[in-house]
Amino acid sequence: MKFAFYPGCVARGAAPELYKSTMMVVDKLGIELEEIEKAACTGAGVLQEKNQKLGDVLNVRTLALAEQMGLPIMTICSTCQGVISQANHRVVNDQDYLDEINEELAKEDLYYSGKTEVKHLLWILLEDIGVEPLQKMFNIDLSGFNFAPFYGCYLIRPSDALGMTKNPKRKHSLDIVIESTGAKSTDYEGKTRCCGFPILLINQKNSLKMVAKHTGDAKDNGADAMVTPCPLCHLNLDGYQAKARKQNKRGKADLPILHLPQLIGMAMGLDPKELGVNKHLVSTANFIKSIKSKVA
Amino acid sequence: MEALIKVKRYNPEESEETYFQDYSIDVAEDSTILDSLIKIREEQDGTLSLRCSCRASICGSCSMRVNGSAKLVCKTRVKEISPDGEAITIEPMGNFKVIKDLVTEMDSFWSKMKSVDPYVKTSFEPEAEHIASNESMTHLLGVMNCIMCGACVSECTAMEVDPTFTGPAALAKAYRFVADPRDEEANSRLGKLNENTGVWDCTRCLACVEVCPKDVAPMERIVKMRDLAIEEGYTNTSGYRHTESFNDSIKKHGRLDETRLALESTGLLNISGLIDLAKIGIKSLIRGKLPPILPHRPKDMKKVTSIAERLDNQGKEEE
Amino acid sequence: MSKHDLLIIGAGLAGLRAAVEGVRQGLNVAVITKVHPVRSHSNAAQGGINAALTDRGDDWRDHAFSTIKGSDYLADQDAVEVMCREAGDAIIELENMGVIFSRDDEGKLGTRAFGGQKKARTYFVGAITGSALLHVLYEQSVKYNLHIYEEWFVTKLIKEDGRIAGAIAFDIKTGQMEMISAKAVVLATGGAGRVFEPSTNALICTGDGLSLAMQAGVPLMDTEMIQYHPTTLAGNGILLSEAARGDGAYLINSEGERFMEKYAPEYMELASRDVVSRAEQTEIDEGRGVDGCVFLDLRHLGKKFIEDRLGYLQEVALEFRGIDLSEKPIPIKPGMHYIMGGIKTDLNGATNVPGLYAAGECANVSVHGANRLGANSLLDTIVFGRRSAIESVEYIKSVKDVEIDSKELSKEKSRIQSILDRPKGMRSAELRDKMGSTMTKGIGVWRDTESIKYAIEGMKSIRGQLPNVYVENKGKVFNTDLTSYLELEFMVDVAESICQGANARFESRGAHFRTDVTTRNDKDWLKHTIVEYNGEELNTTSEDVTITDWEPTERVY
Repeated sequence: MKFAFYPGCVARGAAPELYKSTMMVVDKLGIELEEIEKAACTGAGVLQEKNQKLGDVLNVRTLALAEQMGLPIMTICSTCQGVISQANHRVVNDQDYLDEINEELAKEDLYYSGKTEVKHLLWILLEDIGVEPLQKMFNIDLSGFNFAPFYGCYLIRPSDALGMTKNPKRKHSLDIVIESTGAKSTDYEGKTRCCGFPILLINQKNSLKMVAKHTGDAKDNGADAMVTPCPLCHLNLDGYQAKARKQNKRGKADLPILHLPQLIGMAMGLDPKELGVNKHLVSTANFIKSIKSKVA
Repeated sequence: MEALIKVKRYNPEESEETYFQDYSIDVAEDSTILDSLIKIREEQDGTLSLRCSCRASICGSCSMRVNGSAKLVCKTRVKEISPDGEAITIEPMGNFKVIKDLVTEMDSFWSKMKSVDPYVKTSFEPEAEHIASNESMTHLLGVMNCIMCGACVSECTAMEVDPTFTGPAALAKAYRFVADPRDEEANSRLGKLNENTGVWDCTRCLACVEVCPKDVAPMERIVKMRDLAIEEGYTNTSGYRHTESFNDSIKKHGRLDETRLALESTGLLNISGLIDLAKIGIKSLIRGKLPPILPHRPKDMKKVTSIAERLDNQGKEEE
Repeated sequence: MSKHDLLIIGAGLAGLRAAVEGVRQGLNVAVITKVHPVRSHSNAAQGGINAALTDRGDDWRDHAFSTIKGSDYLADQDAVEVMCREAGDAIIELENMGVIFSRDDEGKLGTRAFGGQKKARTYFVGAITGSALLHVLYEQSVKYNLHIYEEWFVTKLIKEDGRIAGAIAFDIKTGQMEMISAKAVVLATGGAGRVFEPSTNALICTGDGLSLAMQAGVPLMDTEMIQYHPTTLAGNGILLSEAARGDGAYLINSEGERFMEKYAPEYMELASRDVVSRAEQTEIDEGRGVDGCVFLDLRHLGKKFIEDRLGYLQEVALEFRGIDLSEKPIPIKPGMHYIMGGIKTDLNGATNVPGLYAAGECANVSVHGANRLGANSLLDTIVFGRRSAIESVEYIKSVKDVEIDSKELSKEKSRIQSILDRPKGMRSAELRDKMGSTMTKGIGVWRDTESIKYAIEGMKSIRGQLPNVYVENKGKVFNTDLTSYLELEFMVDVAESICQGANARFESRGAHFRTDVTTRNDKDWLKHTIVEYNGEELNTTSEDVTITDWEPTERVY
């Protein structure tokens, strides 16, 4: 299967290990990617605050570029997935607005007819590959491990823009994929909450409270690591975990935060170091040891 | 059909512990969860406490958590939630202290409402009615549809960690006045909402938009008020600097310049904030996770930046 | 013990309007309500509020005539004159308070057509007018820092020396019971729809004020006048506003015909509600219905129009029936909706007990007579809520503080405790369901001697079973099992007086349609029925209707 690849800004910036682990994993999954090199940033909702139309034009442009390539889009970031889906949902339900945007895109000889599908790697695993075929690609049995899913707001809300009515399993997609590896999906409150990243630079105190609560709760409920399909969530939950848990008296930063492709890669038997698991700010040394012991 | 309902019970007169109680009740095929709860308390267990009144999604009494997320149970069908007859978990709303069973206190809710001065402020009394366009009135219908049920507050991720946050319901209500052409205090309202616990504490997580049974979309009202506050000249917030920096990034690079965003949002004169950032920066640098000085740009970057430039100017003209 | 000048029982539109007026008049006001103000049933009114704005060519006398004709000439015409004359100012005041009324092209208040009126004078907010008004009155209560006993349940009114002295109530959240002293009390407790089953009314509409008044020696008037609204959903009784018909919707039978042509050729779907309900019931009874319903058809209005002006109706249709009104007609039938009858008051809301007033649905001035026009109820609440507060000012100035015997409180506490102590028996819902079906069967759209007798006997038996009802929940905190029982007691009082009124009036007038006496009899029955509780039983008498300028004639739509 082939997808137009939209890596997002952070996978090329502060989370390069996401990009690398993605490329390693899609290779094994039999997914062929062609990057949409001309695509702009989605705006992450921040741009849309100031200028909704600009955000929509840039995202519909990305959709048009994919249409030109004749391919559906694959994303690896909950925020990218959400923002592009919201733009898609908006124009597909408002022909006048789509016409207006197409007028802008015409300046570049681009046109969007409303037909591009956008899917996060997580959904592709579930829907295009399927749980059983996926499991056949796993070489390591991760039963005994306990992973806390952290979806990232924009991958699960708003449900109408994310195709949840047609594909209700998306609501539990991360739990399902975690469990497909043989591991347990931690039961804790924070799964579908906010990581605090959007207010990190605005109200750091509240942002860190969120990080502390979710990582602390997950750890208390037995999690060995947290898995997230969003690099922005990763930045906050990993980068600020030490400060957050100290400030909020939730112990030490001892919960490794994994990118989704890193979990898949490890289950497939790929080397955690190659997957960049050792690049995170919260120490993953012990975790990597415990994974490696499974390989043996 | 048999409805299996698992209710979170709490009775302060008996114990401080909460517990779950399983009920099984025979109800009609198209019954709502409220129908089932009422039947349970009328036929099986008179000690079950819940608030309900109109049964027609207009009074706002019956908001409670259904399988973890707040809903008005009078308009939630049992079959919709559990098509195969699985048990449905019912709990009181989140972010509110529980009085008993499914009844929460609402004092905090009403006091947040009061804090936004929820009444039209005009200085003059016209001879007859204020003249106002139908458009301006129907625009307010969206927020006037709010029945103050509390579902948005129940799921608000910001409120969960910070109960002092004004909250989606009160802020949506504030918008109703800011956007009312007859209210003369929009500027000072926005000034107040621009401060701590106001519009900038929203994480934009969309939880309130997702659960609102009346499509009030509180988050969108909050974001709109941020915009309006900036228009009124309230720009002394890191929130403002954040959105400006993001916008500039796109105009310049077509992609996000994370480092610059972090620096500008924090504020270039904010020494302690910058030192803080530096600490994380250094850690990231060691791990090879520091974003490149020049962000990775899209191919044909100029195409993107020219769109951004053009639409940004258009936006400024419209203002 | 708390003391106030003015205590208002009920925080719906009438109660809050009275309270705001009381505060403006400088009184020490408190409102006591068993639910938070915005939960009051006023929020369910959908269509709009009537007013003749004379500064733009409308004539309040035309409104008055429509109201009087709508009432089938049972309304007291001086009361109707007051309401219609004050309506214009009332609307403008509401707009100034901040209500987001719909506008016309000039930015002035806009109207829609409504039942029983030739001229469009119904001012509205989408299909949520009641809610919009109630929320603005709530905003005013915040502005005026109104003292509200929120979620307190009144169990009894107290009188001393023949005048009102206050009330006894308990905090539902804690069970704490108190005596509240007041020089004047306004009952604004709304309707009693739950006496019937089904009903459009909320579960809280249990006629509390009607029973409290009766127990205090105040007569109820025209209690047989029960309005069946033409467009309610079968089963749950949820209301679909008259606004749909006002905005152009049709009523059709199983054969697709607009049957109102046969019954009201001039007003068609906008004839008075009793006429339309009877028309529907006839169609259904004669086999031109489907599953006991006829249909409300909005398809020709278009999706956008429906969503803009009738959004709440579309929401109800989709949520409760899975029907998109722009695509399919929706099955509806007449459903119990409103009580025209109620606590007898004068033009200023005063009852026969000094210091006790009533306003809103629980009161009967009478402005609605034997049938209420749509959009007149919201007007009634605002006009008479205000008037009763103003009227109380002079009275309050003229009386001294009253000393209430503390034994009253302990007596009432014991009474409640004895209810809680009852041994296991029948649940209140069971008895309430019996009452609901008995009353619906006996006092329906059609009634006759048989059915009324059935209701009277049924209610007698139900009264007899009341002592067997037990309360399972013995706790103090949020004991809805207890409040349900107390509400049942109130409802039985109200149901019995409804039966008495129906039994007395031996003619058909407005909503009281007897199949054994189908004509109106002005010679003998241009009177109000009065039902009074003398401490032991109900007594029924009658009183002449006040006629001013409009001689009763044949009522044709």
